Amino acid sequence: MPNKSGSLYGLTILSPIIDDEKATPSHDLQIRKYLASLATDDRSPFALAPGTHLARLVVMDDVIYVGMPACEEHLKSKYLVLESNFDGELDDYLGGLADHVPEQLDSIWGHCVAYPGAANRQAFIDYMKACQLDTTFYFAAINDKSLPETLRALHTRSAVADFIANHQGMEPARLQAEFVQFVAQLRSEPIPGPGTGGIARDIKTGGRNE
Amino acid sequence: MSNINGKVYAMNAITPMKPWKTWILRGFFFVLGRVKPLQQDLINLSFIEFARWVVLPRRGFPFLGNGQKREELQYDYLLFFSNFNGTWNQYIDAFSAVLSRGLNLIWRWSEKFPGSVPVTPFKNYIAQVQFDTDYYYTAYPRATANDLKSAHIVQASLDALSLRAQDYTPAQFEEAYLHFVIQVQAHLGETGDAPVVF
Repeated sequence: MPNKSGSLYGLTILSPIIDDEKATPSHDLQIRKYLASLATDDRSPFALAPGTHLARLVVMDDVIYVGMPACEEHLKSKYLVLESNFDGELDDYLGGLADHVPEQLDSIWGHCVAYPGAANRQAFIDYMKACQLDTTFYFAAINDKSLPETLRALHTRSAVADFIANHQGMEPARLQAEFVQFVAQLRSEPIPGPGTGGIARDIKTGGRNE
Repeated sequence: MSNINGKVYAMNAITPMKPWKTWILRGFFFVLGRVKPLQQDLINLSFIEFARWVVLPRRGFPFLGNGQKREELQYDYLLFFSNFNGTWNQYIDAFSAVLSRGLNLIWRWSEKFPGSVPVTPFKNYIAQVQFDTDYYYTAYPRATANDLKSAHIVQASLDALSLRAQDYTPAQFEEAYLHFVIQVQAHLGETGDAPVVF
């Protein structure tokens, strides 16, 4: 199935945004305003719900006109795009979002046409699937590791580097004992949660000259 | 705009295609998905964490009723979403240098695509068809795609050594440990804050 690569699922959703000329500010602007204040670290809704490796939300205002001799055309609706890369199956993932972060989902998709709310889990899943686009080609650089496995591996890599640096030239019997103890301690340590460790950037950037 | 989070950049692009051409593109992606050696250049560009192409037919935009107007379009559209490490310019440069043939096969069906070489008109085209991200989340903001690959190699090597570490004599352990260090030494290193570019 093109939506999947190994154990990873590539979800693409286009939700039409309510077009209400009486709404002030407009619904698309309200989504943008909310997203601008939404945490991107371990307090992100995608960190609080299980399974998301990377995800983005984009308000798509219109299609793009590339100039003559192409025809100029425009969309009748603006769309909220969700692009997500997660572990497992679609129903479980959407259900997990509805279970863990219903308020955030309602704050975002509440501005979209026919959104039923996240309180009704099955209605939410059905709505998202009605807005889903099938991926034509999906590429995942690592497609056989879950998010917990990846977070653990990153933690392990850092700890192993320290261990090797601090145990150079050690006598073998002591090295062996300390290695066994190191592995036991590493396994008992909590894994850093998803979304942790980034730096806060006051200025949202990512322009084309970067 | 929030195209960057930590060490990863979110790119979105949309290009119009004449509907009859999309079937050629679908055929190309069908082959690409099944003939793994054709994906090797994409895999070798080891700064891409996830990427996808979505062919969106002109009548395929989600329609939910409830006052939504149905789209009336002449073109099908190709959506492209990429999650990559590094800067926009580095990414487009690498795409153009390494994947030019593959890129041409994907985008030549889009209106006014200038080709991926030379790079200047290609960059102008991408800049024209790109639209910005409003919210971007990554579960591992300090890590690049190479960090992830390395981390899994270190984890697998550590797991293998730790399975038998207690059973070895000190001399056997010394040898196994040396082998382990040789296996992982090229995959160590710290993840950290992303360089901030203004």
